[in-house]
Amino acid sequence: MEKNVLAWLEKSAEKNPDRTVYEDISESITFGELLDEAKRIGSAICEAGLSGKPIAVMMGRSIHTIAAYLGIVYSGHAYAPIDSTQPVSRIEKILGLLEPEAVIRDKGTEGKPVEGLLGNVKSFGFEEIRSHEVDNERLKAAGASLTETSPLYIIFTSGSSGRPKGVITSHHSLMNYIEAYAGVMKITEEDRLCSQSPLDYIAAIRDIYLPLLRGAYSFICPKEYFMQPDLLNGLLNDKRITCVGWSTSALCVLSKLRMFKSGRPEFLRKVCFSGSVMPAKVLREWQTELPGTEFINQYGPTEVTASCTYHRIDHVVGEGEIIPVGVPYENYKVFLLSDNDEAVEQGGYGEICVAGCSLALGYYNDVERTGSSFVQNPLNGSYMETIYRTGDIGRFREDGCLEFHGRRDRQIKHMGHRVELDEIEAAALASADTAEAAAVYDKEKETIWLFYSGNAGVKELIVGMRGFLPGFMVPRKVIKMETLPRLANGKTDLEKLKESF
Amino acid sequence: MKEKILEILTDLRPDVDFENEKALITDNVIESFDIIELISRLGNEFDVEISPKELTAVNFDSLDAITALIARLVEEEED
Repeated sequence: MEKNVLAWLEKSAEKNPDRTVYEDISESITFGELLDEAKRIGSAICEAGLSGKPIAVMMGRSIHTIAAYLGIVYSGHAYAPIDSTQPVSRIEKILGLLEPEAVIRDKGTEGKPVEGLLGNVKSFGFEEIRSHEVDNERLKAAGASLTETSPLYIIFTSGSSGRPKGVITSHHSLMNYIEAYAGVMKITEEDRLCSQSPLDYIAAIRDIYLPLLRGAYSFICPKEYFMQPDLLNGLLNDKRITCVGWSTSALCVLSKLRMFKSGRPEFLRKVCFSGSVMPAKVLREWQTELPGTEFINQYGPTEVTASCTYHRIDHVVGEGEIIPVGVPYENYKVFLLSDNDEAVEQGGYGEICVAGCSLALGYYNDVERTGSSFVQNPLNGSYMETIYRTGDIGRFREDGCLEFHGRRDRQIKHMGHRVELDEIEAAALASADTAEAAAVYDKEKETIWLFYSGNAGVKELIVGMRGFLPGFMVPRKVIKMETLPRLANGKTDLEKLKESF
Repeated sequence: MKEKILEILTDLRPDVDFENEKALITDNVIESFDIIELISRLGNEFDVEISPKELTAVNFDSLDAITALIARLVEEEED
């Protein structure tokens, strides 16, 4: 097995230097050009003589963003993508946690409020460093310091109390997952992928690294195409896309926008979906419309490198059928723990726990939260075996297939993203004159509701929350009340609030 | 008709200045789940069917564009 992801890039670049690896809406890049650009970027960073702390990336949805990630890896650092279009207060929290030594920025952040947050952080302009001279000596020295377990990236997810978590993952973990996924999806050099995920989000790792491992191609699709079904169908056919790994929510949205009424992706043979529970009705429609296409359900959190189980759908599902999340990927151990941290009998419910080499290295600069989720396996008193407690409830079927049965806490999956309802409430209380706030999720309609009391008007509160939360997290139904209903124990009566749905 | 559409839009996303915003889709001002809600409400309000072919940035980037689209669909419906 190779030591780091650069070995994949170098191998593919040697084999097929002139083949296109990535394309976005305005340009494309070959394996050879990507290798060259990443080395130039890496050399520029090496020359700056940094200490080895992570480097943030604030760039747009472009093929060069990936070159920046790989350039950072060449320089011996870990990269931390940050969406610069998020509210400034959230970026501030992320930067506070990350304490990056440097940031690579493209023109999109110039003159934006985010500049004011960067303070003493060294700033690399992408346009300058991409044409820096390659310094092979320095790159070699930087590469020598990397081991399989060196951190590759830090990806931020929603944290309750409004403090994001930076999941830090090693080369080894990433490579293990990508190889396992490539095996299940039978990815070859001929496969043409289409990326739906934001590049700063965990799901993008498939679109970034599968081409490097297998010599395949990825199109980095603009977000707005997923609201314009005709345009998307046209693009998927133009680019002859064969295989996608999209969020369940993207498939649901396209189904609601009646994508198949205006055409269909003719070349699409493999679809993997993940991120939330797939409604059988939606999957059934996709299966019926694309009879020659294989569908795979995938499950797992960012902390175990994107996913830990998969399920190949072997029949057209019936309305209302529960789609299992399946069996562990190669090199993953998945099991259940009871409330008392004991093993769960066959057929029983328990918390889904994961062990194996794809566990993240923890939450960056956050010993406390790392320690409560990444723990010694309570079933193993004999040697060190770290497991990740997902907080998800599961049950194994007779045939060994895992089913997902919701959360232990108030985390939800909304539009493919992990959202802590606590974070929304914290934002509502912080952003306007509010006394109480309760966020609840209508799963069926995929709508976040917020009930509150206080002096703030509805519009004022919604605008205020946009200063704290990314757009998809801002509740679309906001209801002002005299006072929120309470249970006898003083807690907010969430069930009562749900009656408004 | 324009006022009614503006009302629907503002109810959906009170934080957006629909009278001046000209790139609702192109600049990702509105999210995909806003679009779903929007076409359902527009469809009900004006009794028209917005087909997937009409779901384009050209038709949805601004209040004026949406108004023009709905006016056209209403007219086609009447024909």
